[in-house]
Amino acid sequence: MSTIIQGGELSRWYGMVMGLNNVTFTIEAGLTGLVGPNGAGKSTLIEIITGQLQPSSGTLTVFGEAPWNNPAVLRRIGYCPEGEAIPKDLRPLDWLTGLALLAGLGRREARERSAALLDQVGLPRVHWGKRMGQYSKGMKQRVKLAQGLLHEPDLLVLDEPMNGLDPMGRQEVANLLKQLVAGGVSVLISSHILAEMEALCQHLLVLNWGRILASGAQKEIRGDIKNWSEELSVRCDAPERLARILFEAEVLLGFDLEPATGWLHFRVRDAAAFYRGWTALLLASGVRVYEVRSESRSLKNIFDKVTTT
Amino acid sequence: MAIPPAPGEKRLHFEPTFARGLAALWLLTWRSRLTWRRAPMRVVQLLVLPALLLIITPSRSGWSDGNPWAGRAPKNLSGFNLRLRRENLEISKEQQRAVLAIYQEEYARAEAGRDDALVGTEMTQRRTEAMTACHARVIERVRALLSPERFPLFEKFDHDLREQDKLQVGSWTWGRTRGYYHGLVNLYFSLVMPLVCVAGCGAVLRDELQADTLGFLVTRPLTRGRLLLLKFFAEQAWLQLLFLGETLLLFAVGAVRDVPHLGALLPLFAVTQLLAVAVWGALGLLLGQLTQRFLAVGIVYGLIVEVGIGHIDTNINTLSMFRHLDSLLGRDTALQSVFQWPLHGVPLSVAAPLLATLVFAGVAALLFNFREYHHRGEMQK
Repeated sequence: MSTIIQGGELSRWYGMVMGLNNVTFTIEAGLTGLVGPNGAGKSTLIEIITGQLQPSSGTLTVFGEAPWNNPAVLRRIGYCPEGEAIPKDLRPLDWLTGLALLAGLGRREARERSAALLDQVGLPRVHWGKRMGQYSKGMKQRVKLAQGLLHEPDLLVLDEPMNGLDPMGRQEVANLLKQLVAGGVSVLISSHILAEMEALCQHLLVLNWGRILASGAQKEIRGDIKNWSEELSVRCDAPERLARILFEAEVLLGFDLEPATGWLHFRVRDAAAFYRGWTALLLASGVRVYEVRSESRSLKNIFDKVTTT
Repeated sequence: MAIPPAPGEKRLHFEPTFARGLAALWLLTWRSRLTWRRAPMRVVQLLVLPALLLIITPSRSGWSDGNPWAGRAPKNLSGFNLRLRRENLEISKEQQRAVLAIYQEEYARAEAGRDDALVGTEMTQRRTEAMTACHARVIERVRALLSPERFPLFEKFDHDLREQDKLQVGSWTWGRTRGYYHGLVNLYFSLVMPLVCVAGCGAVLRDELQADTLGFLVTRPLTRGRLLLLKFFAEQAWLQLLFLGETLLLFAVGAVRDVPHLGALLPLFAVTQLLAVAVWGALGLLLGQLTQRFLAVGIVYGLIVEVGIGHIDTNINTLSMFRHLDSLLGRDTALQSVFQWPLHGVPLSVAAPLLATLVFAGVAALLFNFREYHHRGEMQK
């Protein structure tokens, strides 16, 4: 895989406030998720990548060049900012046509390209005659996504693109992004909807307090996290007995019982060690297990883990 | 959603040119401003000044009734009677009626030759001649009416009256059109236009920043300096159209009120206005790059450079754009006779605002190449 974004000892501060704190990272081609709580530095990083801000120190290159005031790089980047801000007195086709002209298309091509993209992002034609100030959140997101794709970018940067979309709309956007990636476009997406990021992104960049806590493929990040607690839920015929056996085996950090439903929820100290002896313990206990659930390998768990370590 | 074209296989040909960029920003500018929702406010804004000028400029007939050229006959008779009483030389009722009639007839003759189309020194000269002739006729006619001891008193009285009128001759240069020219030049051209231009062009980026839409523009594939210049030109086009419309309305008001020589003034005024909008807009653009309080700084700049330095009688007053713009307007004889501006050569008067426009806009574009705008927290980092 080729590196498309590279940050070296990158810092950005706003007066006394630190936006990014000496981070070094690479982002490979493909679909990468940018994860972090509010104030983590996600938007600052995105604005540096899209050439809206300059690094205070360090370097950041996109396709090998600094994006600030660099039309050659900006030509290859599409950007969809967060929030609902959109020119409210304009109609979507006029807005997109204007932006396409600015990107260098001829008048007729700009109009056709804009119309085609509005169709592609699923904005019904019946709404094209309205000014965008009258649009719902979801409609605004679709138009914003369309403007990001206007100049056929090689890298699409999306800041919270799923906000305001209904579940079907989210699925449509997810499919579109997957298709773009399949077509060779790299996508950098920031979102707080971790479940969707988990399903969508092969790579992650986890940020908090302006620092990068983890980066790389999801599997690698999971592998990097040693000694993380595992949370399991088991439905069985004797939850109390199973709890006692696990406690005596000294693998438990804590547990909750639901005798009425037969559920035992527990956390283990060393997941790797636990799974090595889990089958033997279960056989020795004689407890009949009906269902096992584990949520601890979810992105949320990983995120919680890395942001609290 | 349909599959977009694969990026590796770009179908479209992108060639960002200045003309396409300008077409883009002009489209985004006028489409967002000419809306039905904003139309009533725009119409009201356009009509405020014309309505004001319509009110303060009296019609020809209204002005003639309220401001007779020659004076008021009954008042003159009262004044003459007062002097006679002081000398115990009162005249009979018949004589009083005859003097009053002479004044009324001669004033009426003078009014008949009145030409309100004249302005400035020409008007002053013509009026002075008419008044002198009028009083000479009155003297001649009254000579036959009064006794030898009373006539010198009348001569003295009429002489004083004539001298009093001469003192007022200076104020006649404004005449009926005083309010109109004040409104057109001092209020519209010298105050409203600069303020609107500085406010409009100073806010070209800050409006986008406040609407949180600047990110859509600065991430397009063009340099920041070029983007700012394109925004400036689009705003300029909008302001030029706006002020052209306003000027036509103001001149229409002038036509309705019979203000003379407006047909000759209009082309000159339009060209001068073209330069004025360009230079004040460029100043606003630069100030907008330097400070959030660009309008306040613009007013301070105007007071220091345009009003202060512009009135110093050395070459430093060349820095004042108003001197050059007024000098251009001064090519119109009617306006020049009213305002008496110092005149420079036309090439300098045209070149100075153009050069200032280039410098202001160029420096602003240069600054924007380094300046960041950030929508969160403070407006500008």
